[in-house]
Amino acid sequence: MNTTTAITPTVIEATSETTPAQRRRRPERRVRGMWREPFVAVSTLTVTIYALACVVPLWIIFSSSLTAERTLVRTGFSLWPTDFSLEAYQVLFSGSETLVNAYFSTLFITVVGTAGAVMATLGMAWVISRRTVMARRLMVVVYIPMVFSGGLVPLYILVTQVLQLRNTYWAVILPLLVSPFLVFVAMAFFRSIPESVLESARIDGANELRTFFAIVLPIAKPIVAVIALFYAVAYWNEWFFPLLFISDQELRPLQLLLQNMIGNLNAAQALQPTSGVQAPVYQLRMALTVVTIGPIILAYPFVQRFFVTGLTLGATKG
Amino acid sequence: MRPDRSILVLALPALAFFAVFSYGPMVGAIVAFKDFNVVEGIFGSPWNGLENFRFFFESGNAGRVIRNTLILNALFIGGTITAGMAMAVMINEIRFRLLKRTAQSVIFLPYFISPIVISVMLQAFLSGFGGSGGVVNNMLGGLGISPVSWYTEPGAWPWILTIVKIWQLAGYTSIIYLAAMTAIPPDVYEAAVLDGASRWKIALRVTVPLIMPVTVILLILQVGRIFMGDFGTIYAIIGDNGTLFPTTDVIDTYVFRALRTSGNLGMTAAVGLFQSVVGFILIAATALIARRVSRKSGGF
Repeated sequence: MNTTTAITPTVIEATSETTPAQRRRRPERRVRGMWREPFVAVSTLTVTIYALACVVPLWIIFSSSLTAERTLVRTGFSLWPTDFSLEAYQVLFSGSETLVNAYFSTLFITVVGTAGAVMATLGMAWVISRRTVMARRLMVVVYIPMVFSGGLVPLYILVTQVLQLRNTYWAVILPLLVSPFLVFVAMAFFRSIPESVLESARIDGANELRTFFAIVLPIAKPIVAVIALFYAVAYWNEWFFPLLFISDQELRPLQLLLQNMIGNLNAAQALQPTSGVQAPVYQLRMALTVVTIGPIILAYPFVQRFFVTGLTLGATKG
Repeated sequence: MRPDRSILVLALPALAFFAVFSYGPMVGAIVAFKDFNVVEGIFGSPWNGLENFRFFFESGNAGRVIRNTLILNALFIGGTITAGMAMAVMINEIRFRLLKRTAQSVIFLPYFISPIVISVMLQAFLSGFGGSGGVVNNMLGGLGISPVSWYTEPGAWPWILTIVKIWQLAGYTSIIYLAAMTAIPPDVYEAAVLDGASRWKIALRVTVPLIMPVTVILLILQVGRIFMGDFGTIYAIIGDNGTLFPTTDVIDTYVFRALRTSGNLGMTAAVGLFQSVVGFILIAATALIARRVSRKSGGF
């Protein structure tokens, strides 16, 4: 991808949607009849099957979450909810505070984490994108954590003993706040902004800070979206730090709740409003999975192209 | 350019983050050489030399977790790069635009599914619900093969985990390849078509060689990290299922379990530091080799 053309949002969006074949459409037309070309037929078939393999498991989870426990236990899974039942969702959404707490935890971690992460990342990226001596030094500071870490134990001691963050959302948000990789992705984008644009701002008397907020950020909207989305997904799916630092059941995010449920069927009982009744444990597990990935699946069609943009930018520059 | 220090304000949050959460633990890694106790803390605890490292290497676990880390990562790297490249080449051949676009967006989707959710799906497929056997065993039954108790079968897991990794990452990798393909000039293809080459020949002799630089870059990036386990996925799926440890216990899962159960923080830190140092050496070595290779071939 051409760096210099990537500064306007429209160009970025266009690039992400132009597939290699679209650009080469004309020569391909000369080859008539795809079925005479065995490789084209095989490719079409293989890609179709693989694409199905990517969505069918998710569909099966969804369909199983709508299938009554008795059928689920007998058949193992359900491609279509023949024995339709909403029992699991009724249990999930009736009364029990476990799900509400988990959803709140995940939302808090995702929203606050992403906001902080985006600010820290963009600020750093802008500073190191300037071609100064200081920028080069700071770049090394960002680069070293990419290739070397002190290991899990010092971090564990830091979070639990020194900062005393155990059983707070900050124990999940802070250790993941800045991804060096995304700093470099943003840096690559900032570097693609022509110096002339920035120069005109300086001539108008804007200082570096003002240039950043008034000129650079508005141009950088697409990359801001990409970076925000990457962080949001990472925080939403994060379960390692919750596993390590959060033992208070009220603070458990969704992923940890789900993990607890796989390991321990009795955890499903915690989602029951009243005790004594047999919970539909397997169906409930499926329903909780649906609830956990739901927002990602729903948002996916709308945000997918941003990820592609970020990835191609990262791949060609990073 | 006129140096303007005010810009540093923007870097402060990230700098604070790196200082505390990246460089802090690097200093704290000295705990690997200490007989750690909570009361005296990292700096107050007495030194004990290489005792922690000796403890790990004599525990009998070292060989197993190091071997598993290397084998699994080699399988993951090989599997995802091959599958990602194959998928990109094949997507490139599809003529139906709608299918092409749909496939491109759909195969990227698994990248966003959390390891925990993958673990739930895997359990449903491999062992079913309440002993019903699961999809895979039902299919094996259809072929007349007796069902396998997957969760007690360590031999199968390197392959199962590789399939999971491919499912997660092949789409992601293929997008990188597809981006590289946009840079191939159309006249190269036109020439091949005029020469009467079949699509298979064109893919094999034109597309694949021209995207090789991407493969080299991906390999360099990942081979350097071959000593770092994939904790998120492996622990989410295997958990504390000891039956599967012989083939699936990697350095990261071992460190995590040791941290939670043994309470011997010094030894655990030693394992982590050992991993970081060897990992760093591998990254530096691959970077050096890569630089030499690229200089010889005129750079890419």
